[in-house]
Amino acid sequence: MIDFARVQKELQECSRDVEASGIKVAPKSDNLGRLTGTIPGPVGTPYEGGTFQIDITLPDGYPFEPPKMQFATKVWHPNISSQSGAICLDILKDQWSPALTLKTALLSVQALLSTPEPGDPQDAVVAQQYLRDYQTFVGTARYWTETFAKTSSLGVEEKVQKLVEMGFPEALARSALESVGGDENLALEKLCSG
Amino acid sequence: MENKDNNKIPSTEESKMQRRCDNNKKTPSPKHLLLIEEDNVREEEDFLDEFQCSVCLDLLYKPVVLACGHLSCFWCVFHSMNMLQESRCPICRHLFNHFPSVCHLLHFLLIKMYPIAYKRREREVGEEEKKIGHFSPQFVHHPFGSHSGEEMDFPSNSLHFPINPQNKLCSNGCFSEEKEPSSSGNFAKAIAHREDNMKIVPSTLSSRSEGTTNAAIENCNLIRTESGHGIKTQASVADLLCAECKKLLFRPVVLNCGHVYCESCIISSMQGIPRCQICRSLHPNGIPSVCLVLEKFLEEHFSEIYAERRQVFAKQTDCQILLHKSVNQERKGVIEAKPCSSSAHTQQLGTQSSSVSATVYSSWIFGNGPEVHFGVGCDSCGMIPIIGKRYKCKDCSEEIGFDVCESCHNNPSEVSGRFNQQHKPEHNFEIAQPQCFGEFIQMLNLDHSDDSDDDGNDFPAPVLSDDALQDGEDSSNDLSDVSTSVLSVDVAPDQKDDPNVS
Repeated sequence: MIDFARVQKELQECSRDVEASGIKVAPKSDNLGRLTGTIPGPVGTPYEGGTFQIDITLPDGYPFEPPKMQFATKVWHPNISSQSGAICLDILKDQWSPALTLKTALLSVQALLSTPEPGDPQDAVVAQQYLRDYQTFVGTARYWTETFAKTSSLGVEEKVQKLVEMGFPEALARSALESVGGDENLALEKLCSG
Repeated sequence: MENKDNNKIPSTEESKMQRRCDNNKKTPSPKHLLLIEEDNVREEEDFLDEFQCSVCLDLLYKPVVLACGHLSCFWCVFHSMNMLQESRCPICRHLFNHFPSVCHLLHFLLIKMYPIAYKRREREVGEEEKKIGHFSPQFVHHPFGSHSGEEMDFPSNSLHFPINPQNKLCSNGCFSEEKEPSSSGNFAKAIAHREDNMKIVPSTLSSRSEGTTNAAIENCNLIRTESGHGIKTQASVADLLCAECKKLLFRPVVLNCGHVYCESCIISSMQGIPRCQICRSLHPNGIPSVCLVLEKFLEEHFSEIYAERRQVFAKQTDCQILLHKSVNQERKGVIEAKPCSSSAHTQQLGTQSSSVSATVYSSWIFGNGPEVHFGVGCDSCGMIPIIGKRYKCKDCSEEIGFDVCESCHNNPSEVSGRFNQQHKPEHNFEIAQPQCFGEFIQMLNLDHSDDSDDDGNDFPAPVLSDDALQDGEDSSNDLSDVSTSVLSVDVAPDQKDDPNVS
């Protein structure tokens, strides 16, 4: 049985300092067993500027068993599967402790982004590239970040500007963009319908 | 010594509201509703951050202090424990293999400081326990027992310690609530007084005449503040006394039995193995670390007295250093300064406080070590899993049976079970066989089958008996020095095919 009271508290705690940490956790549906975490790519890494979504599934034993975490956003990293998004991180496995929370676990994932461990890879191809040709690795990682992790945050201002040019008030355009996750076409649709 | 809640986190209104919302969400029975209404009349207290359990993120309920000094709720610690080998502190990963008893001092302190919040916790945990069918230790003189009615179903077998001549020593001390019915009656009265907005009667002094009580109130030992909606009862020095020196705790350490001492008292009184002066039980694995949460609380709430205690202690250690120096000078002519001898001593002991080598657990699987009873803990000393012979009570009928390890069986103490077992000294024991290797493998398989229902007791109720041995997690093997001698755990080799067993 998941301790839902604790999960509730964690969500509150997380939303309280979302501005400081940039880490968000939101339930996918009414069921608190499945959540989505969002972490910003660490500054000074090829992941800078990206926003990474992580699928979180809470096992029955949570918090006495680790949450299952997987990248939903594709990411090029030695310890993260480029195919499935599986994360190789000890605290999500045998080093889990019930005193850790979703937020601290996501912080650790964020830290993992800035300190890859190619010696203990999840994705052998990426790890090989990291070790043999670091420049190419950085290039690929940056390209993946641009391609997969920036769709919603890339050029928000431009999109807002575009919508404003179409004749919508700026505040309205901005909120519409936010509510649909940054897709300008959806935002336009929403603005037209509502 | 003003209201210490000022410097508290902004946990506040918002979370309070949330808490209330949480309550309202689970409203199964009319009785529950009634209780909630009752609660709504009085605002729930905000509790200090330190008293938040880091596992359930709520107010600590029946706090257990581990050897590393970290504390958590009874069930939170138990569920965090590894039933197959040594467990790790959820906070610092310090290894431990004994499940400590509930710390009475903190338990009653929290009841006193946050009666409403603690009552809510009691209700919530009580419901949870009913659901899973296992109960944490019940306290006989629980001031709220009569209110909730729920815990009255379980007659008075509690973790508290038998009354023997030694206990008389502390009848005026911090444990008096548990031992003297009269004073506990007064404790309840004190709560009632609080509710009537009257002057608060300190629980431990109230067994005396009213005159002394008034004197005690004038004495600034007792702090009572009015803030916000209601009256907050603050702890008094009498709630926080060392079981040995009967003074305000200084650098408090909590033993395996749940009793609290000053660090210096336990070091000076111990010879080899720390032994509790109240219940005479041994504390395994060296001197525990200072409970920093409690120390911080003492420092903040009793800053003057605590500073005094610190000075006195510093003087004592100075004397010790001088003595040390002079001895050294005499012997070697060398001056050796030891700034704080006793803490150095503790640190030294603290580092060796891990206990049983991980190989002990695995060697049993391969048939060449002492018996390891996976998933079964000793109800007397709290060792989980039991290493060596295991004695199981034939007369205890609870699902969580009553088991003791060999050394506790040979040196019986009247300390009752870790859970709510109705064990009596006249009950008979039998030697129980550990699981064999095949069963162990099966158990591991069950464990990996992702909590399917056939090992139903898995997480909500890992059980300390052979009825439910399924609980376990894979965990890392961390080696540590064997000092099993501490509880004279029997590590005689190869008892697998013990012929003595019936």
